[in-house]
Amino acid sequence: MTFVSLSRTKKTLLAGLVIGLILLAIYPMAATGYGIRFMLQLFMWVALAQSWNLISGLTGYVSFGHVAFFGTGAYAAAILIATHGWHWAPASSMGGIAAVVLALIIGYPCLRLKGPYFAIAMLGLNEVMRVLVSYFEGLTGGGLGLSLPTLYASVQIYYAAGLAAIAASVAAHLIITSRFGLRLMTIREDEVAAEAMGVNTARYKLYAFLISAFIPGVVGGLHARDQGYIEPISVFPLLTTITMIVMALFGGKGTVWGPVLGAVGLFCFQELVWARFLYLHQILFGAIIVFVVLLMPRGILGLVQQRYHLSRSL
Amino acid sequence: MQNGHLLELRQVTKRFGGVTAVNRCSLELAPGRIYGLIGPNGSGKTTLFNCITGLEPHDDGEIRYKGERIDGLRAHEVARRGIGRTFQIIRVFPELTALENLLVVTWGPFDEAHRRAQELLRFVTLDRLQNEYAGNLSYGQQKLLEFARILMTDPELILLDEPAAGVNRTLLNELLEAIRNLRAQGKTVFIVEHDMKVIMDLSERIFVLNYGEKIAEGPPGLIQSDERVIEAYFGR
Amino acid sequence: MVGQVVISGLLAGALYSLVALGLALIFGVMRVINIAHGTILMLGAYTTFWWFHLLGVNPYLSLLASMPLMFLLGLLLQRTLVTRVVDAPELSSLLLTFGISIALVNIAQLAFTSDLRSVEFLTGAFLVGPIALSKSRLISFAFAVTITLLAFWFIQKTKLGKAIRATSQNSEVAMICGINVPRIRLYAFGIASALAGAGGSLVAVMFAIQPEMGQVYTFKSFLVIVLGGAGNYPGALLGGMLLGLVEQLSSLFLTTQLSEAVAYVLLVLVLLVRPSGLLGGRER
Repeated sequence: MTFVSLSRTKKTLLAGLVIGLILLAIYPMAATGYGIRFMLQLFMWVALAQSWNLISGLTGYVSFGHVAFFGTGAYAAAILIATHGWHWAPASSMGGIAAVVLALIIGYPCLRLKGPYFAIAMLGLNEVMRVLVSYFEGLTGGGLGLSLPTLYASVQIYYAAGLAAIAASVAAHLIITSRFGLRLMTIREDEVAAEAMGVNTARYKLYAFLISAFIPGVVGGLHARDQGYIEPISVFPLLTTITMIVMALFGGKGTVWGPVLGAVGLFCFQELVWARFLYLHQILFGAIIVFVVLLMPRGILGLVQQRYHLSRSL
Repeated sequence: MQNGHLLELRQVTKRFGGVTAVNRCSLELAPGRIYGLIGPNGSGKTTLFNCITGLEPHDDGEIRYKGERIDGLRAHEVARRGIGRTFQIIRVFPELTALENLLVVTWGPFDEAHRRAQELLRFVTLDRLQNEYAGNLSYGQQKLLEFARILMTDPELILLDEPAAGVNRTLLNELLEAIRNLRAQGKTVFIVEHDMKVIMDLSERIFVLNYGEKIAEGPPGLIQSDERVIEAYFGR
Repeated sequence: MVGQVVISGLLAGALYSLVALGLALIFGVMRVINIAHGTILMLGAYTTFWWFHLLGVNPYLSLLASMPLMFLLGLLLQRTLVTRVVDAPELSSLLLTFGISIALVNIAQLAFTSDLRSVEFLTGAFLVGPIALSKSRLISFAFAVTITLLAFWFIQKTKLGKAIRATSQNSEVAMICGINVPRIRLYAFGIASALAGAGGSLVAVMFAIQPEMGQVYTFKSFLVIVLGGAGNYPGALLGGMLLGLVEQLSSLFLTTQLSEAVAYVLLVLVLLVRPSGLLGGRER
């Protein structure tokens, strides 16, 4: 292996990353309102795809209802903002904590389920959360939704969402390059062998699940503030879960940069090319899912990584 | 450690529905020796290993390790107390590199773990392949890697489930050498093996299972001429 | 009141059994959860709607169209797409069938719009003592039971059915015994889709339909096969009835919305306490 050129590439990449971050930091000064909203949504998708990657990309437990944490965070934050007058930043953090509490309650029993059973249980969790939120009208406004007081804070939310995306990616980097991350991967590779080698798989799965739930909880809170209005069908759509999954998968699950790459690629494509055609867009989205699953299940980085023997963190 | 036994099984029984896979099995292992476990197919050897390592909790009886009950512990807890094992089929972590396969089972300081992992990879002659995905290694290399992984956890008792299966002569000799080496280091080894020559050469004491029951126990020479054993294997 | 609930439960349950038997076939033979199962049901429902609306054909007669059409669609999906992910990790098949589902649902929305549609064929109810029986539900019940029993007879008695059961028990052994496993999978998917299509036709007569109606049937069918024990076909029949009853009973005490949550809680409880299903054997 050519270590010299590798580290040079690494330096170049690192320099590019720093420049990119600086550009993103000063971007709001030059951008239009649309540009800022576009970027802040992109940041949210990066964070969401990273969060799904942490539980499912590493442990192989497919969370098919990850949007439940997003919706829970959105409602927790929205209630705190609308009825208790909280500032959106602490409210969003509380959204993350609410999601972690939900993950703790549901993860403890459900992470014992294997394979498709876990996936479907998570799908069901999302349905239940939507039903419950619609049902407790006094707290959540039921099917009518919840309106937040008007606030023009796009730029602040831009930075908050950016921070969430960076934090999620840094967390992914730290986890994937650590023995903790390797142990999560042994659960994906062979759970029984991992257990026989002394890995407390139940505890590791739960830790990963809790970390993974916190991120969409916070992002949900930011989303609620950004939109100014939420309703059960807007924050618990199965499609959002699927979008996170496809982003992580497309970029390369189990890697640090895969979810970033997937989120940027897919979101830009969606927004710029065909967001105007509602149904056609979704038909194409379905086709993209089929395409990714059949032809590139390892994702872009997965392929590159295998061919050139790169590490998961690049 | 009471009465000097490292591992002690008392009347261990495991049932699957109507089938009794292990039936009131008792045995003792003293530290620093090599033991063999033989028996016809389906006699409960692997199930017994699974009971000891906590993968399939047994229904009745007691299992003691260093005098303490370990039954009821979960598999990872048993492993952390110093019982390592391999499986009948190779179970390396295919999408982790060879080096990562070893690092992942260590809990101490990272630098020390890393040094030891490289040392062990050199020991099993896989050092040049340390960054290769385990899934890309050949069968024999995976077998060696699995062996190194066991050593990485530094167990006192090592359960080997058919270490010689599917292994060529050269590799087999290396494995046997390594197992004898373990004994020299004071480890206890418990082996399930179908290759009679291997198990007779290696073991100091052999247990024989048939239909889940221990039907004989003794040094290899005696076992080879034991009538019940011959009957169990070849019928009357 | 209780009598009414039990009867409504059984009427609803027969439909669940019919649809879930399809999902159970696919899951049994391939260990794939077909997220598009409910979508196929939706297409069956639209087949009936258009036959009735455009041609004025008796909606029950349209079963003769929806079942073969969905059978063919099933063959097509299995042959071209699903067969490629049978042995892959479950994420692949879940996502793939979800992708198929979202594409088909949106094609339906483009083609049929997302308006609610209904087939006004049999309205009104029979009154038996204090119990009111909707005519359309009663006749649909009869059809559901008949088709389910026919399918069940097919699985139990015919050669193909036996091959299907052998494949669900152990596909490797089935292959060694000379069963053409890929072909069995193909037929199983086709038959399963025909059952979903039949379910759709019956739903169309009872309720208003729209393109996104299918997902809830996928989920409930999965619940039914969990109740009945995966790979256990008689279990799917009983599981369907059980789900119908539980839903109706819980709607006595809870709002309809919450009774959906009951179904989910039931699912998780059963999975945790008896992973092999309420009616299934012990899993090894």
